[in-house]
Amino acid sequence: MKLLLVEDEEALRLTLVDSLRQGGYVVEVAANFTQAYEKIKLYQYDCVLVDLTLPDGDGLDLVRTLKADGSPAGVLVLTARDGLDDRVQGLDLGADDYLVKPFHLSELNARLRALLRRRQFQGQHHIVFRDLLVWPELAEVYVSGAPLTLTRKEYDLLLYFLANPGRLLTKEAVAEHLCGDQVDAADSFDFIYTHMKNLRKKLQEKGADGYIRTLYGVGYKLSTE
Amino acid sequence: MKLLAATTRYYLRLTVGLFALASGLLYLGFDWALRNEVEELLYNRQLHIQKQVARGLALPAPAFADNLDRSRRPQPLGFSDTLLLDPVEDELVPYRQLTFRLPPAKAASAPEWVTLRKSLVETEDVLGVVVGVLVVVLALLLGGVVALNHWLARRLWAPFQHTLATLRGYDLQRHQPLALPTPTIDEFGELNQALNTLSERLVRDYESLRQFTENAAHETQTPLAIIQAKLEQLLQAPALQDDEQLATLVGDAWSGTQRLSRLHQSLTLLTRLENHQFAPAQAVPVQLDQLLRDRVALLEPLLEARQVLLTLHADPPLPPLVLHPGLADSLLQNLLHNAIKHNHPGGRVDVLLNRRMLEISNTGPALTGDPAQFFERFRKHNAASDSPGLGLSIAQHICAYYGFGIEYAFTQVGNRHTLRVQFT
Repeated sequence: MKLLLVEDEEALRLTLVDSLRQGGYVVEVAANFTQAYEKIKLYQYDCVLVDLTLPDGDGLDLVRTLKADGSPAGVLVLTARDGLDDRVQGLDLGADDYLVKPFHLSELNARLRALLRRRQFQGQHHIVFRDLLVWPELAEVYVSGAPLTLTRKEYDLLLYFLANPGRLLTKEAVAEHLCGDQVDAADSFDFIYTHMKNLRKKLQEKGADGYIRTLYGVGYKLSTE
Repeated sequence: MKLLAATTRYYLRLTVGLFALASGLLYLGFDWALRNEVEELLYNRQLHIQKQVARGLALPAPAFADNLDRSRRPQPLGFSDTLLLDPVEDELVPYRQLTFRLPPAKAASAPEWVTLRKSLVETEDVLGVVVGVLVVVLALLLGGVVALNHWLARRLWAPFQHTLATLRGYDLQRHQPLALPTPTIDEFGELNQALNTLSERLVRDYESLRQFTENAAHETQTPLAIIQAKLEQLLQAPALQDDEQLATLVGDAWSGTQRLSRLHQSLTLLTRLENHQFAPAQAVPVQLDQLLRDRVALLEPLLEARQVLLTLHADPPLPPLVLHPGLADSLLQNLLHNAIKHNHPGGRVDVLLNRRMLEISNTGPALTGDPAQFFERFRKHNAASDSPGLGLSIAQHICAYYGFGIEYAFTQVGNRHTLRVQFT
């Protein structure tokens, strides 16, 4: 899976590249508009992550170029601007999704996973994790072959964990993923508590015990062993 | 009062005063001159008569009896006024008369008193004409001044009116200086020039403020994003996973950056609202009832966790409101979240939406303090609360931005807090 990351801020770029490579992606980078423009004209990517504010151009023009060229690449817009204005425009231009800085790396993983899934596998894809089998397009979950019935939120939560196996997910990140980015950080635990409790109980009942570990006061982790 | 009316009023007062004075002086002057003339004439006749008598001639017979009177008895000497009946017009007519003593021609005969008279009718007529002409001229002049000023108001003051109209319609958000023309009148030219300079400076300042806000928003969000990403990476470090104490430390630091970034977003939003930096072009018709349902659905977990029951009554069909979608979202989110946050377990939130207003009322502990202050920034019910206390302030600013009224009320019965947004 080949990605192009367009981000001018070096520290952030390096962190993102690290995180994405850990997720198993092949990542190329562009630090400015010119580099990014050359690369999208020369190579094919599965997904392009575009920062909107670049020193020598507007990231939205890259989105326009990609769409004008009929590129099959998915487009994920990263914006540090006040999201209220740019999200609409970015999506109108054909971006597949957007993330407002600062975002959670785990959220980026989840969005990227969902985006690539939508674009490339058209329902042919399934996720296997230990005893879990998930058909995302059918929204079906099996534990060791037995179907597991989840609510929409619980299912959403499980997919989010599956996109970040082995990563520590803070409760704020989980809450934002579940309830949108206007969740007050102070209430994050309240937002996810019931869903987390129910999901773990259902997994446990089907024998997938201890899949989700709690780090007290910080967050949760989908345990890989 | 219009400036022109004020100046005209003073001008008229002065003119009327001067004319009254001038008319009085003119009257007195003419009167004095005409009387003088009459007296001189009478005196000349007296000398003439005296000479004739001294030469021994007889007194001339007067053409009109009224003009010369002779008497044997002593009369008061000198000039005096009298009224005599004019038999033709049958009215009393003023006369000026001069009486003198005529020494007898022969020593033996008795002295005689002669009275010479001259009618003053012509004199009065002349005075009447003079005063009449003056009054007419005065009336014409006053009318002329008023008419002239009206005309001037339309013509000479036109550039000023134009400047006023331009100023009234001026909108700083268009980022355009005034660009007023330079009229031929110097004062207006100077005024327009001063206003142009002022507006240019305003536009510059506004622009730099706007840029500062944008830069501050961008430039601080980026390092924050870096800190957050690095901390998130750090949280993934294997060494940390086994050490709960260390994990909590990093987790707390990470939560701190989260809150800082939220606070930053809220303050930026407030600043942008205050600076009117949301382009009207981005406003779209928003179906508020639909948005409300979406928002409530997102808050479902919080309602559940806090054991708060929310009821929603929306009167269909509701006409869409033209709003910025992000702002509409923020308004509802802040109001709903506020109602849930300041509630108690087992409490209620009742939402009522109709075409005129949105009313969100919730149970909750009675608040202390001035209700007007609830909309102030960083106003917290509980000082130890993690939330920055900007929610209601943002809601109020969004309402002000769209000209909605927002008010808070508390009823003792059932400890109900009600926030009402009036759309019109």
